[in-house]
Amino acid sequence: MKKTWLTAILAAGALTLAGCNSDNSSEGASGEEGGSFEPSKTIEVVAPAGAGGGWDTTAREVARIFGETGIIEENLTVINKEGGGGAIGWAYIHGQDGSAHNMFVASPPLMFVPLNGQSEHGHEDFTPLANVIADYGAFAVSADSEWDDLNDLFDQMKEDPESVTVVGTSAPGSMDHMQFVRIAKAAGVDPTKIKYVSAQDGGALTSVLNGSVDVFSTGVGETVEQVRAGNIKVLGITAEERMEGEVLSEFPTAIEQGIDESFVNWRGFFGPPNMDQAAVDYYEEKFKELSESEEFAEVRKKYGWSEMYMDGEEYEEFLDNEKQEIQALLEEIGLGN
Amino acid sequence: MDAFQGLLAGFQVALSWEGILFVLIGVVVGTLIGMMPGLGPISAIAIMIPITYGMDPAPALVMMAGVYYGAVFGGSTSSILLNAPGISGTVATAFDGYPMAQQGKAGKALAIAAIASFFGGTVSVIMLMLLAPALASVAISFGPPAYFALMLMGLTAISSLSEGSTIKAMISAVAGVMVVTIGIDPQTGTQRFTFGNVNLFDGFDFLVIALGLFALAEVCMLIMNRKNRNLSDDQKLGSLKVTKSDLKEMSGPMTRQSFVGFMLGVLPGAGATIASFISYIFEKKISKNPEEFGKGSIKGLAAPESSNNAATSGAFVPLLSLGIPGSGTTAVMLGAFLVLGVQPGPLLMSDRPEIFWGIIASMYLGNIFLLVLNLPLIPYLAKILSIPRPLLISLVIMFSLIGVYSISFNTFDLYMLLVFGALGFAMRVFSFPAPPFILAFILGGMMEQAFRQSMTISNGSLGIFVNSPLPLALIIVSLLSLTIPAFIKWRSRRLSLKR
Repeated sequence: MKKTWLTAILAAGALTLAGCNSDNSSEGASGEEGGSFEPSKTIEVVAPAGAGGGWDTTAREVARIFGETGIIEENLTVINKEGGGGAIGWAYIHGQDGSAHNMFVASPPLMFVPLNGQSEHGHEDFTPLANVIADYGAFAVSADSEWDDLNDLFDQMKEDPESVTVVGTSAPGSMDHMQFVRIAKAAGVDPTKIKYVSAQDGGALTSVLNGSVDVFSTGVGETVEQVRAGNIKVLGITAEERMEGEVLSEFPTAIEQGIDESFVNWRGFFGPPNMDQAAVDYYEEKFKELSESEEFAEVRKKYGWSEMYMDGEEYEEFLDNEKQEIQALLEEIGLGN
Repeated sequence: MDAFQGLLAGFQVALSWEGILFVLIGVVVGTLIGMMPGLGPISAIAIMIPITYGMDPAPALVMMAGVYYGAVFGGSTSSILLNAPGISGTVATAFDGYPMAQQGKAGKALAIAAIASFFGGTVSVIMLMLLAPALASVAISFGPPAYFALMLMGLTAISSLSEGSTIKAMISAVAGVMVVTIGIDPQTGTQRFTFGNVNLFDGFDFLVIALGLFALAEVCMLIMNRKNRNLSDDQKLGSLKVTKSDLKEMSGPMTRQSFVGFMLGVLPGAGATIASFISYIFEKKISKNPEEFGKGSIKGLAAPESSNNAATSGAFVPLLSLGIPGSGTTAVMLGAFLVLGVQPGPLLMSDRPEIFWGIIASMYLGNIFLLVLNLPLIPYLAKILSIPRPLLISLVIMFSLIGVYSISFNTFDLYMLLVFGALGFAMRVFSFPAPPFILAFILGGMMEQAFRQSMTISNGSLGIFVNSPLPLALIIVSLLSLTIPAFIKWRSRRLSLKR
């Protein structure tokens, strides 16, 4: 019995420690005088979500490649700050003002969640370091659907919008919903009449497979296996150009079907507010090196991601534009705040 | 490769020294973590993901699977001994397991739980092996209307979860439904009852409520009644022996509920928690002595225990054969697969048969290991009850806090645990039953989402619930389960009046 409790207490202690390894100090940031910056202690990379999801995977793979290639010699540890669709993690990073040893992984929810009034912090509150990956949205239907391309679907939606239901994993006003709205609107569908339901726990794919709903709005990567098995077909993807890779290269873009619109599920890294410029320069360079490395190319291939490097400045400009567009669209469909 | 050859290949993986070693590590880690109140398979698997980086995928996944079903196996221990559910799937285990332990039959209760878990686990692995590909179509047969009807069926059973006042049970259930609406509504993105507090955006985790209402409330009761009981050590442990008549008594529930649990496990979104509740209610409804349930009934313990373990294997059907994760835990498992470069889905069986069948084959082995490991541990585990009361109470509180903290590493959840502990204590004092609250919390959220998804799809027509056979059948069953007992009561009263 003693042993059992000992193990229990040890395991519990380890867990507690794992949860408390954050460190508020920002000391140790050398290079204050506009010189160069070198990290002087472990760099903490926050995934503002639980283990096993997209943010977590990106953060862990990036940290692993940095370590294995030696691009960054200091250790990187990934911690999960789950909750509020990211808001809890962002609030945490926001509190690390000026620290050069903290960063977090982000993607479009960093815009969608604040736009929907669910976070006080948006991308403009943080220091953009670099974007590294692009992923794209896909619109899939059951393999025996009568629609063969996006125009078939959108023609039906123009004629009888009530007859088509779109399903995604996230809530209305968030990524799965808005990527569909954006493309459909460009095709001439009335964006205020799009029927969208949200389904968790694998319910979205299930509902498309059993015919309860018509269209699955999701990430390209989620569709590949089901397409290979012949269960679903992808009517169109939101990328500008055809993607590379087996199966992926068969998916037609919306643009090549005459719909002049695209949507990027960008993924990159941000630091806390007021990060020193020398540190930003350092990380920009390191992320560029990572993005160009063979090792990271392997990672991209494994998950079906595309390369998309942007330095901090370019990134910020890109995000400002995206945010304006999305905000306008949200207001048009009555979800603006 | 046909299924038989595939299974042979699977056993080659599972029975290699590497396979055996990793199954063993997986189930030991899983069962230990599951035993601790509040620490469940999600945390265990999440911790393991970084460890398995760079490992060969087959043994790594066999180990992760072992952690998962091992945690469900071990989860019953703290439910039975301390009324502190180890994982959400073992809340129903406490209904009869804890009273048994209080009556000085802790050892026996643990043994029954272990046997029922083993039985449920093994039966469901056999079904998984024979039917996984065929069951893929069952897993996707439920659309939103059918889920709504299934949850409705579960809710109609609330009255049977209560002793005494039906009105109090209903109040408790309504409170449960109210609590589950807190958070961001997935269908509109609107915040409900969050008061703008970011910590409430995701609503409450099930474990915060279960540990509050059960473990902490029980701790308060123990402190209140500290002078009442004085069992000697021997009485506390009781005999380990499960007699032939016990086995006979539990054989019916075990067999039935292994099937029920497995099928509910196959449905994405249902899973071990709902399965264990439905199995418990099922057995109580068909029992000749329903009044024994909740007071240490062997059937009431065996039913949820075989069911939750069977559901765990069932959850591998949509995961392995469709790539659909049906729960938070299987979603983390899916992440683990992807990190190891394995894509679960319809093609896994043909692309990577050694992994598909290796996992299934390893589950036979894992279940045997679990039984062999757990049975000899029982006397030691049961001795936890002979720890002096003040120390025991402190340990329960400590583990509840750690368990809740490990869900999201957020101190806000700890305060909420205390709030629910206080609520649970008040409910006990004023004899409002906690199980209806918990059941309504689990089912209510899914029911609301399924209802509103259905309404959007049907453009607001209720006909969607009766126009297809599956939801219609489930709704008819729910109506019958409400009316038949009332009718029987009414008839027996008339008969007795005539006499």
